[in-house]
Amino acid sequence: MSLLNTVYRSVFRRTSTFTLSIVLGVVLFERAFDQGADALFEHLNRGKLWKHIKHQYEQNED
Amino acid sequence: MLSLAARSGAFSPYLSATSYGVAGQLKPLVSGAVLQGDKVLLDVKRPFLSRETLSGQAANGALSATAGINGPATVRFLHSDVTVPEFSDYRRAEVADSRKSSRPSDDARKGFSYLVTGVTTVATAYVAKNVVSQFVSSMSASADVLAMSKIEVKLSDIPEGKNMCFKWRGKPLFIRHRTPKEIEQEAQVDLSELRDPQHDLDRVKKPEWAILIGVCTHLGCVPIANAGDFGGYYCPCHGSHYDASGRIRKGPAPLNLEVPYYEFPSEDLVVVG
Repeated sequence: MSLLNTVYRSVFRRTSTFTLSIVLGVVLFERAFDQGADALFEHLNRGKLWKHIKHQYEQNED
Repeated sequence: MLSLAARSGAFSPYLSATSYGVAGQLKPLVSGAVLQGDKVLLDVKRPFLSRETLSGQAANGALSATAGINGPATVRFLHSDVTVPEFSDYRRAEVADSRKSSRPSDDARKGFSYLVTGVTTVATAYVAKNVVSQFVSSMSASADVLAMSKIEVKLSDIPEGKNMCFKWRGKPLFIRHRTPKEIEQEAQVDLSELRDPQHDLDRVKKPEWAILIGVCTHLGCVPIANAGDFGGYYCPCHGSHYDASGRIRKGPAPLNLEVPYYEFPSEDLVVVG
């Protein structure tokens, strides 16, 4: 509860800092959520995506 | 005021705006036993003998009923049979006891409320941003349209002094490989004698290559290359003469031939569009 007290007094109490925290939260949340969803998708489809099987079809340019 | 309401005849019930106390409208589901009604306090037949006789006849003490033409007529139900609900299930634990001060838990309770608000706002903003960007990006051209909107021309296929015509976005596209003589001739044209003054070097990126849209600016015919009085293009419909830079020199057309956006990715290649 004391953490919530601190957060309320430092962030939520003023509208300006509250709005700022929301904006920052959206930026961080979007990044984390999108990348997490992509990582989950690739994990569930391991071995089926083009970038996983691409090396089998590449010819070495030696 | 009461006398005014009394004198207004048939309208008096509407003109008297009075606050009444009325018994509550909630009726028991099971009708109870019929009770003897209270004795009527007013005895209208009682003769007025003195000032004291009025007691029981008219209101005494503080004014409990008002009447006025402009006053709102209100009916106040006496909810004496309604119990106050128990809200303690909905209260937070910190404020369940009404005898304790709520001040110490103030910040934590407000913090929780603002936290819920903030998280909801973040989620809403994320969803709104994605929905809006999806609709906005649906307005941009798709990949196949973008692929069709460009044309790649190999320049070594066009010999010097020759004009070639391609179809680009449904319009004829002229690519002209100009000779050094033509380049010099167009560079020396005095801008004051042009209808749509534009220097030759403003219309080309490389002086050897004049790239134009082959639509006459008069009424949209396709001009004929290497024809006309100025050695450039000649529109057969109404006789507009363009020079080798595509500038209007003679005839009814008001503007020079349009120059599309193009670039040279390599020495031998031009990409229009």
